[in-house]
Amino acid sequence: MRPEGPHAASVLLTDRLSKAYGPHTVLDEVSIRVSGGEIAVVSGANGTGKSTLLRCVAGLARFRGQVHVGGLPVDGRRAVRRLVGYMPQAVQLPENVTVGEVIGFFARLRGAEPDTSNLPEGFLPADERPIGILSGGQRQRVALAVALLGRPRLLLLDEPVANLDELGREGFWQTLRELSARGTAALIASPMPSDLAGIADRAIVLDDGRVVFDGEMNGMHAVPLVGEADEPDEGREEARA
Amino acid sequence: MSAAPSVIERPLGRGHGVTALAAWELKAAVRSRWVLGTAIVFAAISLGVTLLGLEALRGLGLSGVGPASAGLVNLGVLLPPLMGLLLGAGSIAGARERGLLAMMVAQPVSRTSLIVGVFLGLVAALWITVAAGFGLSALVLAGVARVSDLAPFGALVVATLAVGTAGLGVGIGLSSVAAGRTQAVALAVAVWFVLALGMDLALAGLGPAVQLGPEGLLVAVLLNPLEAGRILALLAANPSGAALGPFGTYMIERFGSTGSAVLLGSAIAAWTVIPLLVARSALRRRPT
Repeated sequence: MRPEGPHAASVLLTDRLSKAYGPHTVLDEVSIRVSGGEIAVVSGANGTGKSTLLRCVAGLARFRGQVHVGGLPVDGRRAVRRLVGYMPQAVQLPENVTVGEVIGFFARLRGAEPDTSNLPEGFLPADERPIGILSGGQRQRVALAVALLGRPRLLLLDEPVANLDELGREGFWQTLRELSARGTAALIASPMPSDLAGIADRAIVLDDGRVVFDGEMNGMHAVPLVGEADEPDEGREEARA
Repeated sequence: MSAAPSVIERPLGRGHGVTALAAWELKAAVRSRWVLGTAIVFAAISLGVTLLGLEALRGLGLSGVGPASAGLVNLGVLLPPLMGLLLGAGSIAGARERGLLAMMVAQPVSRTSLIVGVFLGLVAALWITVAAGFGLSALVLAGVARVSDLAPFGALVVATLAVGTAGLGVGIGLSSVAAGRTQAVALAVAVWFVLALGMDLALAGLGPAVQLGPEGLLVAVLLNPLEAGRILALLAANPSGAALGPFGTYMIERFGSTGSAVLLGSAIAAWTVIPLLVARSALRRRPT
């Protein structure tokens, strides 16, 4: 399926995207656009809908409004998921498999080669190392490598460097810059947007599910971050849409 | 800004991801201590039941594998469904809690393929576990078995695998609708108690008052995959249905041996497939 229509120019386009869990509105008519090669950080206080926005774009939760990735609608069909690499905020990989087996498994699901050569040398633990003996940061590196498999056009990364050491962060940002230069777009959720200074091209600030700022990184400091409500657990509350 | 990255577009077939998911689940299950422990426990109990049955046979001065095989029927329709229920209950709910389900669903794999892949991998793990248990029993029984004993024993193994598989299907269904892994496991145990004991107790209690009759009993059997498996195994051992008393005679007269087997097999298959359809639907509707 080839991307067509007015949405083709943007890698990601959301139009009045709304999401509620029961009576709780988590995203309220969010309209954003991310172009090819652009790195955008989604920021905001805890519970303002950053992770939910990424999950909706990844097709993991139903929503109101429209989302297009690479010109294709996010409507549950598989084609659009080939364009997206997603890393959730918290993932516990099985402890009794090796790094190589995790990479190989997800590569097969993506229909891609288990190629991690776009990551810096030494970024990933050795293939034969069991996940069970890895540190939290090393496991996060594996999850990041999974998100990059198949060279997706859009990366959705939820706090991707939260557990990484300085060297790991620098290595990953370098990789992201290289991918960006080749046209990959990225939407990165982070409660600490200052971490992405010099890396992100754009900041999108959410407050209570609404976009309160969408512009260059250096312009976001004027935006007061309000709202500390906890995000409801998706598994426990019913989706409205 | 340069052009978009050149994604290597390999066409994805309809069932894409099923074999990868099945292999992944099988690998994870076989390497887990729970499956290994279950296999050892099931093998030990099977062996114990077999040896006790043979001892009883010798005490009566008889030959063949009859009582040992009958004991295995009861074991086979009780334990493997519980194993399947627990294995299935931990699958989707566990992956959801660990965030792994989100990573899987984000891949270009359909929800149907995901459920089928998980199911097939766990079926393989369950069958390996059951085979280990019955394999030991088969080795012991081989010394005293007659050629005529082979078919009933084979039918017993098939019926056991079938009800275990139905238990797994129900477990996956529960796992996909439950709030979490703990709730899924609790529901699985509750379902097992109802199927293994609750329905029999209810029938025993209500039977005299309600007077179900053979048709009513048949409905009760079809609504309980464990009972359907038990009847299937006993019918295979005794195609005349005599071992089942008036109910067996009724079934054979009404449907014939083959028809009865097809009916019971269909009931077990429905108990397997319907929960998987529920799981697929839940995976589509529910946020991951």
